Amino acid sequence: MGTAVKPETEGKQRLSDWRMAVKSASYVIATLAMLAPCGLENAHAQIRAKADVSCQPAEKLQYDCIIKLANARTSEPLSGLTLTVGADMPSMPAAHNMRPVKATEEQDKGTYRARIALEMYGDWALRLELSGTVRDRVVKLLRFESDRVGEATPAPGRHRH
Amino acid sequence: MDDYLIGVLSNIGVISFVALSAYLLLLTGEISFGQQAFFAIGAYAAGIATALWGWSLAAALVWGAAVSGAAALLVGVPTLRLHGLYFAIATLAFAEMVRILFELFRYQISIDGELIGPNGTDGFRNIRYIFDHNIDAFQFLLLIYSLLAAAMLGLLLLERSRLGVIFRMIGQDETLAELQGIPVARRKVLAAGIAGTLAGIGGGLYAHLTTYVEPRIFDIMLGVHSLAYGLIGGLGTAFGPLLGVLIDIGLLESIRALAGYRMIIFGGLVALLLIVRPRGLLDEMVVHKIGRGWRRVSLWARRSSLKPRGNSA
Amino acid sequence: MIDLVQNTLDGVMIGSSYGLLALGFTLIFGVMRRLDLAYGPSIMIGGYFGTVLYLYYGAGPLAVASAVVLGAVIAGIYVERLCFAPMKAGAAIASMVSSFAIWMQLEQAAILVLPRHTYPFPPLATVAPLEFGPFLVRVDHLIMLVCALALAAAVHLALYHTRFGLALRAIIGSPVAAHLVGINVRTAVLLTFAGASAVGGAAGFLVLAVDQQVTPMFGMWATLKGLIAMMIGGLGSVPGAVVGGLLLGIVEVNSQWYFGPQIRDLVAYVVLFAFLVVRPRGLLGRAPEPAMPPKA
Repeated sequence: MGTAVKPETEGKQRLSDWRMAVKSASYVIATLAMLAPCGLENAHAQIRAKADVSCQPAEKLQYDCIIKLANARTSEPLSGLTLTVGADMPSMPAAHNMRPVKATEEQDKGTYRARIALEMYGDWALRLELSGTVRDRVVKLLRFESDRVGEATPAPGRHRH
Repeated sequence: MDDYLIGVLSNIGVISFVALSAYLLLLTGEISFGQQAFFAIGAYAAGIATALWGWSLAAALVWGAAVSGAAALLVGVPTLRLHGLYFAIATLAFAEMVRILFELFRYQISIDGELIGPNGTDGFRNIRYIFDHNIDAFQFLLLIYSLLAAAMLGLLLLERSRLGVIFRMIGQDETLAELQGIPVARRKVLAAGIAGTLAGIGGGLYAHLTTYVEPRIFDIMLGVHSLAYGLIGGLGTAFGPLLGVLIDIGLLESIRALAGYRMIIFGGLVALLLIVRPRGLLDEMVVHKIGRGWRRVSLWARRSSLKPRGNSA
Repeated sequence: MIDLVQNTLDGVMIGSSYGLLALGFTLIFGVMRRLDLAYGPSIMIGGYFGTVLYLYYGAGPLAVASAVVLGAVIAGIYVERLCFAPMKAGAAIASMVSSFAIWMQLEQAAILVLPRHTYPFPPLATVAPLEFGPFLVRVDHLIMLVCALALAAAVHLALYHTRFGLALRAIIGSPVAAHLVGINVRTAVLLTFAGASAVGGAAGFLVLAVDQQVTPMFGMWATLKGLIAMMIGGLGSVPGAVVGGLLLGIVEVNSQWYFGPQIRDLVAYVVLFAFLVVRPRGLLGRAPEPAMPPKA
């Protein structure tokens, strides 16, 4: 270092740099290629679920939610599933998480109830995880306030003048 | 392993990609608040590939990584002349531009009578690949971590290679590096490209993990967080950002009892940590000492295992 | 044409508060050479002080304004003591990330105390807007403009006609040299932070009074607007901060009028990015240094 590098060695060094970059990249692509077959097995359509969620404020920052699950295509109620409800705040993924709660099925087939406790008011994306005979996930975006729960319309921009 | 733990570990794995992305740029001496833009681009590109074009997950992830890498290269060029704070703010501006563009981006196709695709501020729902193909949560976790391991392997090799040393040289003093004959501009763009690709892989994984992305997720918070992870965990090694992510999300999840005060405690802890350790926990000094200690131990082990006569080196 | 002039008028008035925000930012950057990401949130804390006073004690605008300034100053000093004072010379990134951590802390503290999404703020004026021919001028906007200009003039006076201002300009020029001539740099920096927070608090009060509400998102918004205006006008330049703010205001109002709120934000960032790529020093700033000082 410090003296001029001869053209041939400089070329070789640059080549070794590129080789290094390519080598690192190829590890990643190789891993992907190895795992690719995993996805190609059951490429048939699964049962898709749709959900109807309505929540009412209970105590402070706690809400009682009634969730109706149905087959997205046939609208037939889905019963006997294990439903877990999680919540994420869209503006901070992986933080402000709520520990998922299990919902209990009510008398009506396909109707489930869960009580969720949130950290703060605002827009939350409720993550309804279905398992059992049907495995699916439905995401519902709702705005949770102190006195009501409504549709969340993500407003463009934060401040308006 | 219960689903909740799998979920947390998956989140840690995916966010690590963005953290590594910001870390790589930090090595070359550039502060980037904008890696979340490439995370977003990777997420949308990969999601579009599987949900709208019916590609396989592997192809979609490669596509997402390629698009974000290309975007990073494109942005790396005009920002070359910028340094320090100017570069940082330029990345912030770029990332916000990308986020707002995604708020305006609409690309929907009707599949099976349902409109699927990115829909502006409503986001991109129903990226259902792992459900349609029966990949359970644990399998996806394995995918995330194998890709992360591969990326870490690549990065660790990079750090030991000439290219890695070049990156750190550029980070220390650009003028000196230029005087050594290093084509600084090209290496910085290369670093930007690799960093963008890393974030893009993470984004593609994230989109399929959560099945739902919206532009709001990719805001400045994510960007500054990914920078912070490297700084908390340490800038001496690629494990630093991982440590940072682990501390943040791990701690965030475990201090459930103080749910409402998490940020207050965590923020205070980070501020205090940075006073005593401005380069993070695993900073260059610590890594150097660990390396020295390891060499001493292995030398001692080798010496004590040598036969008494005739075979010593 | 009338729309353009009307928008420009509105833009100038709104831009004056952006200019104030940028002013505080630029003062901090000038003496510290570091970005304080907790600047907006500390103003937001001030705003929450103000809204508590308004909500629970029915105070008038002047009292609320003082509360906002006081809150901002307290928060600003807290940030300075924790994130900037203890840091060694080269740890610029550490300071910025630390200020970001405190940003999160302040935001959550505010939400804990006042958890609702929005809180009311007293208006600046309740009279009907003035009319100048075809143009409408809201009285509260006008008050905002006058106050902002007055404050900017006061800052300029302080910087150029007082001993403390002289010391500040010396530190901005070269902290080491300033220290060598006997200026107590640490105290001066602390006072600058307090002053910049006060200016920011005033700007915050004006904006919040015009909006008549304060939300926890105000912190991020104020930081971003101040940052963009500061960069456009020129890092470390006091007149630049004001000019940058006015320009940003004009561009924003016009963009929103013709293209809507999302394009408005997009344009602000495009302008910022364009400036950085083409002319990083902004309109009135000094040429940027070749590289940051050696990193710690």
